Amino acid sequence: MPIEVTMPKLSPTMETGVIAQWLVKVGDQIKEGDVLADIETDKATMQMKSYEDGTIVRIDRPAGDEVALGDRVMVLAKPGEDPKEVESKLAGGGEKKAAKPAGAGPVHSGNGQPTVEDEAEDGVAEDSESDSAANGEAGRVKASPLARKMAAASRVDLTKVRGSGPSGRIVRRDIDDFLAGKPAAPAAAKAASGGAKAAPAAAAKAPAAPAPVAARAASPADERIPHTRMRKTIAQRMVQSKQSVPEIHVTVDIRVDKLVAIREELNRALAAEKLKLSLGDFVTKAVAMALRKHPGLNATFEEDAIVRKGSVNIGFAVALDAGLIVPVVQNADSLGLADIRRQSEALVAAARGNNLSTDQLTGATFTISNLGMYGVRQFDAIINLPEVAILAVAAAEKRPVVEGDKLVPGTVLTVTLSADHRAVDGAMAADFLRTLKRLLEEPAMMLL
Amino acid sequence: MAVLSFREALNQAMTEEMERDDRVFLMGEEVAQYDGAYKVSQGMLKHFGARRVIDTPISEEGFAGIGIGAAMVGLRPIIEFMTFSFSLVAIDQIVNNAANMRYMSGGQFSVPIVFRGSSGMAGSLAATHSHRLEAWYAQIPGLMVLMPATPADAKGLLKAAIRCDDPVVFIEHEVLYPDRGEVPEGEHLVPIGKAEIKRPGNDVTLITYSRSLKVTMAAAEKLAEEGVDAEVIDLRSIRPLDMDTLINSIVKTHRAVIVEEDWPYCGLGAGISDRITRTIFDELDAPILRVASKDAPIPYNKAMEQSMLPSVQRVVEAVNGVVYREV
Repeated sequence: MPIEVTMPKLSPTMETGVIAQWLVKVGDQIKEGDVLADIETDKATMQMKSYEDGTIVRIDRPAGDEVALGDRVMVLAKPGEDPKEVESKLAGGGEKKAAKPAGAGPVHSGNGQPTVEDEAEDGVAEDSESDSAANGEAGRVKASPLARKMAAASRVDLTKVRGSGPSGRIVRRDIDDFLAGKPAAPAAAKAASGGAKAAPAAAAKAPAAPAPVAARAASPADERIPHTRMRKTIAQRMVQSKQSVPEIHVTVDIRVDKLVAIREELNRALAAEKLKLSLGDFVTKAVAMALRKHPGLNATFEEDAIVRKGSVNIGFAVALDAGLIVPVVQNADSLGLADIRRQSEALVAAARGNNLSTDQLTGATFTISNLGMYGVRQFDAIINLPEVAILAVAAAEKRPVVEGDKLVPGTVLTVTLSADHRAVDGAMAADFLRTLKRLLEEPAMMLL
Repeated sequence: MAVLSFREALNQAMTEEMERDDRVFLMGEEVAQYDGAYKVSQGMLKHFGARRVIDTPISEEGFAGIGIGAAMVGLRPIIEFMTFSFSLVAIDQIVNNAANMRYMSGGQFSVPIVFRGSSGMAGSLAATHSHRLEAWYAQIPGLMVLMPATPADAKGLLKAAIRCDDPVVFIEHEVLYPDRGEVPEGEHLVPIGKAEIKRPGNDVTLITYSRSLKVTMAAAEKLAEEGVDAEVIDLRSIRPLDMDTLINSIVKTHRAVIVEEDWPYCGLGAGISDRITRTIFDELDAPILRVASKDAPIPYNKAMEQSMLPSVQRVVEAVNGVVYREV
């Protein structure tokens, strides 16, 4: 039976996706992991990848079309099927919607409904090795024996886990990551082919060159840049935040000389691992630890309640050419500095490459916005709803500092907390900042 | 502790056992007058005389059979094969007589004999001198198969083999003979059937024996530099196999690579891999991979010969495969 590929959910709030461009055409043979198209969601332009091998016999929707989630966008002939035969059947009107959405369906469905894959669990699919249908159609989940055992013990539905092993095999680290709520590791072997195909896409995504207007030196023409979906989303969310949230802003200066020294020392020690901690990593760690102490700031404001979140997941704003995106370091309070560095690097790289998965974009409980690299002395960030606070981090810079009665040079970092006064009072905000300041001024406290 | 070569350690083991027990004697081609083809029996003729250190003609089936008969009537012979490739001439004696005798006689006879000698690929000796036949012998019920990798184990295991009441095939890798290491003096016995963890680690279990231990240890060091913490197990006993040590290690690491110098098809690693998979399938996070010699006769040409062997690079690649690491 041919495979129907449907519009996948590529962002947490996505309901429709616009096909920015197709990167494949009818007749192409594709492999699992190949990039099929660039899809504009409300957040960003994301890559739509194939979860199947096959030959494309039909593309239903042209580039530019807006497609609802789950709607069919293409049909594949499975390996071994005759594409011509599939095509003629389609043309003959014999087509039926597959009961199970192909492609990204099972991975992203997130509704806990049992899928066909569950059969593999009780051995039905495994017993039918001679049945060539077992691997393709039923979408058998590939997992190592250990991963299966761990999944059974933790009641993890393997169909919800992305495998990073060969051919997408789910292995131990994928279950560990899934249980830790971490973003799935990028599919290992697929990177190469995916990357190659992504290249033209990336080029196409560069900001559109201004339309060639008959240039007149005297009065250059105005340039009109239509809103991208990401820009629309940013605009809508920022207005919503500013209009609905009574913000208070609390600022403190933090003396970071000790931190700077420790960072240099650690970076010397980490040089062999090619790991370089930034001040931002220390801030992330300290914020996560401070949030544990001040759960009132690690919360969301809902109509009838303030919900204090169980885990501390730090979102951090990443500037892209097209706008702004907030990937998430999950459970940052339980991570060491090195892990925070590694995860942030991976997330930034994925953000820049438009490769962030839904998991990597959701679940933040607190956001950090860092403009330190631009030499900013101080700024206020706008709260990322429904969170109740956001921390704006400026540059650590040499400033005159009063020590006793003397003026000495010191390295000072200014941070500003924007808090939702419906949920957070001034004293609460100040108390949180006092904890944060202590952690950053005496970094050894972070060991406690 | 004295530092001895592998061959000196073997010599010491035989000498001590022959001094301890006058039923023990050594027999084989060139073991006496010539002091051994590989000088393992150096000085023993002078020390024990021609009644206990006996030169034989080129007649493996004959002297293996004489040894088996002698063992059946109460002596404890050590039969040296110049190389195990030549033991094939005597395989009928070893398999049909030595291995089966206790079983077929209903326990009336035991065969306390050691068949020992060199084996393995070593410096352009070409196909008929380079066979690794451990998997053949390990398949035979009734035989013990021991393959030490260090001088200390060579002494301890050979002494245990000579005292064993059942036939033991004791295979010495030819390139290990000059290797030096600390060897305990006097009564040093390594129990048959006990593997040893030569390097503890958490990420992957590397199972090996004999000369391949050196390659495997070098690979483990290289992997450590790259952040992969490998545990290395030296089997020492090929049969009986110390499954407990293997299982405990793999339950910890969840991954295994077997490094063996024999041929891949139906090799030792195949049998070991099968036993692990059947015992602790649910602990495995990756298929068990094997690094063996290439599936071909051993070439004479040195560069080609070396390319047949398990190498550090091949071990590292296999480990990358089971820890799912991209390089």
